[in-house]
Amino acid sequence: MATPTIDRDAAVETPPSKKSRRAARIAEAAGAGWKLLIFKVVALGLIDALALYAALVLFQSEQWVAAIAVLVVTGVANWVYFSRGNLPAKYLIPGLIFLLIFQIFVAGYTAYIAFTNYGTGHNGSKESAINSLMLSAQERVPDSPAYELTIVEQLGEYSFLVTNPDGDVELGGVDRPLEPVDNAEMDGGKAVALPGYNTLNFSQIVANQEAIAAIAVPISEDPNDGSLRTPDGSVAYVYLSSLEYDEAADTMTDTRTGTVYSDVGTGAFTSPDGEELMPGWQITVGFDNFVRAFTEESIRAPFFSVLTWTFVFAFLSVFTCFAMGLFLAIVFNDPRMKSKKYYRLIMILPYAFPGFLSALVWAGMMNQEFGYINVVLFNGADIPWLTNEWLAKFSILLVNLWLGFPYMFLICTGALQSIPDDVQEAAKVDGASAWQIFKSIKLPLLFVAVAPLLIASFAYNFNNFSLIYMLTGGGPRDVTADVNVGATDILITMVYKVAFVGSTADYGLASAFSIIIFLLVGTISVIAFRRTKALEELN
Amino acid sequence: MKVNKRSIAAFGAIAAVSALTLVGCASGGDADSGEENESAGEITVWVDADRAGVLEDAAKDFTEDTGVAVNLVQKEFGEIRDQFVQQVPTGEGPDVAVGAHDWLGTLVTNGVVAPVELGDASGDFEQVAIDAWSYDGQVYGVPYAIENIGLLRNTDLVPEAPTSYDDMIAKGQAAGTEYAFLVGLDPEAADPYHLYPFQTSFGAPVFGSNPDGSYNAGDLQIGNAGGQAFAQWLASQGAAGTGVLNTNISGDLARENFVAGKSPFFLTGPWNVPAAEEAGLNLAVDPIPSAGGQAAQPFAGVQGFFLSSESENKLAATEFLVNYIGSEEVQTALYEVGGRTPALTSAYEAAVAADPITAGFGTVGTDAVPMPSIPEMGSVWQYWGVTEGAIINGSGGDPVELWNKMSSDIQGAIQ
Amino acid sequence: MPRRPFKRYFRETGWRHLIGIAVAVFAIFPLLYVFSASLNPGGTLLTANALFSNVSLQSYIDLFGSERQPYGAWFLNTLVIGLATAAGTVILGALAAYSFSRMRFTGRRFGLTTLLVVQMFPQMLAMVAIFLLMVQISEIFPAIGLNTQIGLIMVYLGGALGVNTYLMYGFFNTIPSSIDEAAKIDGAGHARIFFTIILRLVAPILAVVGLLSFIGTSSEFVLASIILIDPDKQTLAVGLYKFISDEFSKNWSLFAAGAVLAAVLPVALFLALQRYIVGGLTAGSVK
Repeated sequence: MATPTIDRDAAVETPPSKKSRRAARIAEAAGAGWKLLIFKVVALGLIDALALYAALVLFQSEQWVAAIAVLVVTGVANWVYFSRGNLPAKYLIPGLIFLLIFQIFVAGYTAYIAFTNYGTGHNGSKESAINSLMLSAQERVPDSPAYELTIVEQLGEYSFLVTNPDGDVELGGVDRPLEPVDNAEMDGGKAVALPGYNTLNFSQIVANQEAIAAIAVPISEDPNDGSLRTPDGSVAYVYLSSLEYDEAADTMTDTRTGTVYSDVGTGAFTSPDGEELMPGWQITVGFDNFVRAFTEESIRAPFFSVLTWTFVFAFLSVFTCFAMGLFLAIVFNDPRMKSKKYYRLIMILPYAFPGFLSALVWAGMMNQEFGYINVVLFNGADIPWLTNEWLAKFSILLVNLWLGFPYMFLICTGALQSIPDDVQEAAKVDGASAWQIFKSIKLPLLFVAVAPLLIASFAYNFNNFSLIYMLTGGGPRDVTADVNVGATDILITMVYKVAFVGSTADYGLASAFSIIIFLLVGTISVIAFRRTKALEELN
Repeated sequence: MKVNKRSIAAFGAIAAVSALTLVGCASGGDADSGEENESAGEITVWVDADRAGVLEDAAKDFTEDTGVAVNLVQKEFGEIRDQFVQQVPTGEGPDVAVGAHDWLGTLVTNGVVAPVELGDASGDFEQVAIDAWSYDGQVYGVPYAIENIGLLRNTDLVPEAPTSYDDMIAKGQAAGTEYAFLVGLDPEAADPYHLYPFQTSFGAPVFGSNPDGSYNAGDLQIGNAGGQAFAQWLASQGAAGTGVLNTNISGDLARENFVAGKSPFFLTGPWNVPAAEEAGLNLAVDPIPSAGGQAAQPFAGVQGFFLSSESENKLAATEFLVNYIGSEEVQTALYEVGGRTPALTSAYEAAVAADPITAGFGTVGTDAVPMPSIPEMGSVWQYWGVTEGAIINGSGGDPVELWNKMSSDIQGAIQ
Repeated sequence: MPRRPFKRYFRETGWRHLIGIAVAVFAIFPLLYVFSASLNPGGTLLTANALFSNVSLQSYIDLFGSERQPYGAWFLNTLVIGLATAAGTVILGALAAYSFSRMRFTGRRFGLTTLLVVQMFPQMLAMVAIFLLMVQISEIFPAIGLNTQIGLIMVYLGGALGVNTYLMYGFFNTIPSSIDEAAKIDGAGHARIFFTIILRLVAPILAVVGLLSFIGTSSEFVLASIILIDPDKQTLAVGLYKFISDEFSKNWSLFAAGAVLAAVLPVALFLALQRYIVGGLTAGSVK
């Protein structure tokens, strides 16, 4: 594409008359001197140029909303950085832009998908569904001969020059049924050229393959005899289509049974008795997915037991990891202890290891008969760590503790570091015991920093899909129960089982569930925040 | 006035940076992902790492002969199905991809694959391979390898092949090793795939067949009288019975024990042969012994290459599929890197003649049935494994009741 | 230094060692398992009950010898993506935390809560949307779309605000605002105060957030496997997952060796940052 011309002022939308004031602002902003100014200039210049380019491309592809959004965001950013005030915005914008695109927009997009039937069999446009149906409907007439084919062209129109197995040469084209020709040039029993026509070589065929692949040459005047098509440009076969698409009526007709499938608004061609032709296409279905989420039998029956376990699991995960992490952080936060850094290093290890691997290793160690835990630690006991309902829940929590305590340990260590020493010194001088100092000074200060993280950690574990999936797969499952849900299934793994059965994926339903789960977790978190308000020293 | 200069400099700089960036955007917007086919003379092929080397040679020949470039993109085999389904509708996908035949149900339902006209070459392939790659009467790919399990026997421990399951256990016990017979299972979900030949030997396939050999989803056979007999047999071989089937022995453990000489028999596929050969075992591949008196039919998995329905290069891609991937040279080369028996009859016969292990699996394969590729199979897997696991572990009550319940659950899920 | 009497030693630090040893055993023994498997080519994870029965470095050598699995490239990619994401997260998070901590504006409380709540969207189910978004970006800017490391880093940075901001915000609050005031009186602008004074004082938390972000990024594989397509662009987590996702050719020993080396990166980073994490830098300035 050509380089777009740049209006010098397009990138920075400020009229030149305010130059001196603006300069003063820049100077003020560049308190750290030239470095900052240069950084700001380069960064803004880059961003403006990229945004402008993106907007141009978006306008070209007629994505008006996206293009306008890009321009608005860029405009706002420029305004913020060239105005005197808006300090908070200056510091927030860089992170907010990423947040907007990759979190908020993604969440919004997922919400949109929740209102569609997007999923297996409904993943594209109606056009491509029709195209795919017509492709699959082309069936070769059984026992029909294969024709040696040469593609020839005259005045921009392609024709098929075919030699049938008996050696007869015929010529035909789109809407021109085959007719015998007798003046073709032969080469080894195959007609390769015809006077007045240009023969296409393979690279010419490849260059025009979309057009050539679409050519159907009728065998005779009777369309029911079928048409010649070529899959590779060198051989033609006789095909009959088992489906006919009527564009005006927007219906598909099965030529073998005469059944008429029409578009009745369900996102697939449907016969009068409800049979659907697959693939269908993507349509919006309103609140259907949400209705299904609440009425689907496989969800409703076990819902409350799963929800309870989800809460228990998330709460206990946070509680155990935090308790252990905090305890260890306190233990190893003693300046007299020289070797603490080695302990710290070892404690980081479980967290530094790829998580899915850890879950697999634990699953192996917990094997009832051959696992290390039973064989070595319990001297050959037969403890069903992962196959007994309650032990499996315990195992999940144990493994999660192993995976999660280093995180809490790190955070608490950092938090303890940040508590100024003089506070403690003063308390010590006043004769407070170590426990008193901890309880009334350290812990409250620590909580200010950590409480929100505990809530976030709760939310994370609420949706901790990979741990459950890798360690127990949600099992053990009670086969006598009527539901496909195991003892350690949490909400998100249950949703996964319902929305992605075998090889079918129902993104619409999964998205509806993600919205529901999000509302659930979000509400709990907001309530929890309100409760911890007392801890925050907001002024 | 220094300030003024500064501000002018700042704007000049921003404009300059912007201009430079824009020039960069405009000129350097060329992705190397190869998913944008500007020229018609290129096809994109997704291939897994094992197959990539062979296809590079085939692609080179193809490009020399036709002038059409082949862009090979390496993918993880397991990811191909979902990424293909995801990307083809967005116009990002390849022209051709490698895959397994049991993906077909998903691929066809999603409308992302186009039939491949093998023409008169279809007779050159093993029948089971063509059956497997057929869906609704159309062939959707060019098969290259057939894979099925067989009974691996350590000939130093047991010199001759067993005649039945009971005979095998007797021979295994006589060998005096720790285990009479090994098969990899999962503590909860057992392994329906590996246990299927025993199930079919009781005359209980998952689905009945249509006249043309394809599976009939409306005819669920798993819960028939044979299936109930199989359930009882499972219980008799499980924790409450002989204990031969042990769900704590996973596939890895089974392999390790077999390699260590702890059992003469191992029910597995070609993928575990190299480990046993490296350990210096003398091996034979036997037909799977029948437990219920009828033929023990394992599942056959057929791998092949399929064509995208949104491909803009169908002619070139078909040419590559049928005449290059379908050629004896390429099929043989693919067999040499993967060890799976070729799907092309001529390559198959050559491979079988040259290698007794391949011949062994091939002989078992003559009884094999294609793993169902119909979407309904998803509902079957959901209940099948856990029920088998519960029966073997003796944890769910009466085996026949459990089996019947499973059958009705599957029936319910299909409708 | 004279030896302390045992009783006093135990009361002061001895008991800490006992706890340390207990926790270290708990933390390390599953990993010993992996390490043992990595030294036993052809073995599995499951039967490694006899730890270190076989010691061979073959798997480590094989790791770098495979053309199809460019382990060296994965290692480098993980380092680049991890460090870039960690740096970006620290910068973006610190900027935001500074404004939340030091400035008062409408929507501040709401903004803080929202930041945290937005992160609670189940990403697992939002994969489809992320993929489709990246496809769109690819069409405009192929250089930052699908199958690019920059694209992946950007997606990760979408989560830069949120938990990390909160963590930092708590810390910024523990730094007395008298320091800012003093600097303002000396004529420093807000930018200078932030970049030259505050950032130094909160170094421990920057180090912690950087480390957490690096570890999180380097072990994340769902997003990475969706966005990075070519094997030579992928990260360790994706590459290693491939080692075991292939049902029938699990090479546990190779996989274990790869995982052991993969853990070296976060550990090295932790060692590099340990000084900051444990440095009581704030003590000097609050006098």
